[in-house]
Amino acid sequence: MKKILEVSDLHISFHTFAGEVQAIRGVNFDLFEGETLAIVGESGSGKSVTTKSIMRLLPPDNSEIKKGKILFKDTDIAQATEKQMQKIRGKDISMIFQDPMTSLNPTMTIGKQIMEPLLKHQKLSKDKARERALKLLDLVGIPKPEIRIKQYPHQFSGGMRQRVVIAIALACAPKVLIADEPTTALDVTIQAQILDLMKELQKQIETSIIFITHDLGVVANVADRVAVMYGGKIVEIGTVDEIFYNPQHPYTWGLISSMPSLDSGDEELFVIPGTPPDLLHPPKGDAFAPRNPYAMKIDLEEEPPMFQVSDTHFAATWLLHPDAPKVDPPAAVKERKAIYQAKQAASLKGGQ
Amino acid sequence: MAESEKLLEVKNLKRHFNVGKPSEVRAVDDVTFDIYKGETLGLVGESGCGKSTTGRTIIRLYDATDGEVLYRGKNVHGKKSNSEMKEFNRKMQMIFQDPYASLNPRMKVSDLIAEGIDIHRLAKSPKERMEKVHSLLETVGLNREHANRFPHEFSGGQRQRIGIARALAVEPEFIIADEPISALDVSIQAQVVNLLKKLQREKGLTYLFIAHDLSMVKYISDRIGVMYFGKLVELAPAEDLYRNPMHPYTQSLLSAIPLPDPDYERTRKRQSYNPAIHQYAEGEEVTMREVAPGHFVNCSEKEFEQIQKDYKI
Repeated sequence: MKKILEVSDLHISFHTFAGEVQAIRGVNFDLFEGETLAIVGESGSGKSVTTKSIMRLLPPDNSEIKKGKILFKDTDIAQATEKQMQKIRGKDISMIFQDPMTSLNPTMTIGKQIMEPLLKHQKLSKDKARERALKLLDLVGIPKPEIRIKQYPHQFSGGMRQRVVIAIALACAPKVLIADEPTTALDVTIQAQILDLMKELQKQIETSIIFITHDLGVVANVADRVAVMYGGKIVEIGTVDEIFYNPQHPYTWGLISSMPSLDSGDEELFVIPGTPPDLLHPPKGDAFAPRNPYAMKIDLEEEPPMFQVSDTHFAATWLLHPDAPKVDPPAAVKERKAIYQAKQAASLKGGQ
Repeated sequence: MAESEKLLEVKNLKRHFNVGKPSEVRAVDDVTFDIYKGETLGLVGESGCGKSTTGRTIIRLYDATDGEVLYRGKNVHGKKSNSEMKEFNRKMQMIFQDPYASLNPRMKVSDLIAEGIDIHRLAKSPKERMEKVHSLLETVGLNREHANRFPHEFSGGQRQRIGIARALAVEPEFIIADEPISALDVSIQAQVVNLLKKLQREKGLTYLFIAHDLSMVKYISDRIGVMYFGKLVELAPAEDLYRNPMHPYTQSLLSAIPLPDPDYERTRKRQSYNPAIHQYAEGEEVTMREVAPGHFVNCSEKEFEQIQKDYKI
């Protein structure tokens, strides 16, 4: 598979009155052609900051890319000028935002908003752009596009608005689509429709998607690979099966155990104790250590490197060090690991 | 459940907006259900189905267009003296969805929490008032030092705890929680849900839990009602509803939930719901019918027979 985007050793800080907030502290990942990479983590873990930096949408006056590269087609986005970015934004990389109520311009017809990138980037004539906009509306499943194209955002429901936002994002058939919690504000039934639509369109225009969400159900539905972020770092990354059935990092264990499953009974929900780290003064050692029931002495002193679990699966926890003691993961995780082992045994048999 | 006492009866409740105009909206249209003492009734449905309006009409934030709400046998709506209103307001409290919008940013946490205590004169001296505030803060898992701060100093989960403390201040029996966790992170959601469950155990509270996150609702509720376009379409014990959803809308709603299990997600088939499939004949009576003990479905006589055949125990 070909890499389309390469993020390496990214450090981003915000300058506030209280001091320097180190929001991103060394993020590395690759995005391959045609895949969907989901980024999960709690609020403040840096998932939105990472993706906004790929679009260079962070406020220029108080944020700073301290270090690192974001390579897209030989261009280092981290160093790109605003002029270069204007050519990339909306054309090669585009974004769907969380709230469809606020991400559209209320004073412009949606036709105009969809035509905007077509006129700017593809230099289409107005008639051609209109024709294409009609096609796009049809593509995202909006009925009666000829009437709808003249309407304003307030005349659309939430789900329909998100479809319009998707149409705008996909207008120029971008190579990379960043979806920042695109379904969080929507109902389950509408969410299911939007997810199906995104998967369908991804096949049609062969784009790669970075999907940010905190809903693990959605992740299981859309993702090929999953990156788990905590305290401004990726703590675990792997294929969707590896993360859901063979998680290694205690934080991933906590995330998975804190969701009630549809057949969980009356027992108390698992809660990750404590609060997220203060990135104004990032802790020495593993940022998760103070909340980690499996923490060892070394966790408080030295940051764990990425340990390799398989070709595609990496996790930053000292528990994977050969000298680390064997620990007993939570029950919910154990059940999942059993499924993973059964699957692997089955695939081995199939291979023979 | 049959022996326990009915705390709240909602009878043919209707709440219509813009009555008589072309833009009339029947947000709640002929909804009937009971809530028993000590239980949690979950109310689910997509946005605009009338679940929040139902909650708000029950607590009299809206007047009912028709029908009645009986709390311990007494009508909630209708003419009441101030003292009757006060008495009622003490028994029933509400927790709101958005912890950012539901707390007055210019009030200190202690005053926010003590507002109800002041109105109902539940504290005899300022000292007792502060003691109550402190103990409430500790009940919801905050520190007494938090009493002198303002809402902007807190995170979403902490604010929701303040909202809960505020509701608990007047020692209510019944709490309507209108999407109390929708605006929170997954890990924080678990904390708030655990807190609500703990409070229920300790204080014998009764909840009406309104939400659209179905797995959380299943977890917290004893019984669940499903609403669609202002009507209650199915009402059943939580476990039963998930195992045997009988109304086609409930089935479509359940089939739309993504679960954190990639294998399940690869095979999940989504059903869509089209109200036209019912094809009710004119004059056919469509009401809530009991298909199994405690399991009600909104259906016609004909559908009822079919559902009883399909129902597996």
